[in-house]
Amino acid sequence: MPVGLNLDSGTSITNSLERYMDLVDARQKLVTSNIANADTPGYKTRDLDFKSQFQNLLDGGQPQAIEVSGLKTNNDGNNVNLDREAQLLSENALRFNVASQLMHGQISMLKLAIDGGQGG
Amino acid sequence: MSLFSTLSVSASGMAAQRTRAELLTENLANAETTRTPEGGPYRRKDVVFQSQGDSSPFSSVLESAMNGTPGGVTVSDIITDQRDPERHYDPGHPDAGPDGFVAMPRINPAEEMVNLMGASRGYQANVASMSAVKDMIQRSIDLLR
Repeated sequence: MPVGLNLDSGTSITNSLERYMDLVDARQKLVTSNIANADTPGYKTRDLDFKSQFQNLLDGGQPQAIEVSGLKTNNDGNNVNLDREAQLLSENALRFNVASQLMHGQISMLKLAIDGGQGG
Repeated sequence: MSLFSTLSVSASGMAAQRTRAELLTENLANAETTRTPEGGPYRRKDVVFQSQGDSSPFSSVLESAMNGTPGGVTVSDIITDQRDPERHYDPGHPDAGPDGFVAMPRINPAEEMVNLMGASRGYQANVASMSAVKDMIQRSIDLLR
């Protein structure tokens, strides 16, 4: 059985892709929160460390958010940088697109196998 | 967690910015108002934003999953300007005092317009993040085709 089509295994490509999409989803939520709170006094920008959190998710953990350091704080104690969030917003959308296309490829291969390679 | 709860975060941001824009236009409209139901000239109003926990029914699960991440934003309070009204000398005005001065609202139209632009840009940013999340949901649905 080809490795890529092993849907049950914890190490399969589809499983990794699923975790990846979960992580992008979690990050998108943080970015959306940051944008919604762009004018909230005292609000601090939150994000997650993509690499370490992806490994964490693959190991069965939950994503952990952290406060971002090194951003300029306004007089009202808010440190949301809208340009940074806009960049992350499009970066996340692209990451999700790639993951969903790869996932689509995996599912098409599975369909092909089910159909006995007859296409359609 | 789900992408749909992310949509409600954007929606809360849009609602908050719209409330702010409503109050700012009210301030502009009443920049010369000398009579109010409470008596005296109109007083400028402004919003106080506060970050809130997730508004979805799964908030507690999500809260623990996301390490207590704040969700959307809410208008926690609407404050009324407590400064003394501006005094303009206009003896012909029906609301002028015996000394000829009229108490006018302390409103700076330029300040209100700048804040209005801020509210408008904030609203746009929330719309952008909502459509980005919407695209992600659509991509997930397309997996089924």
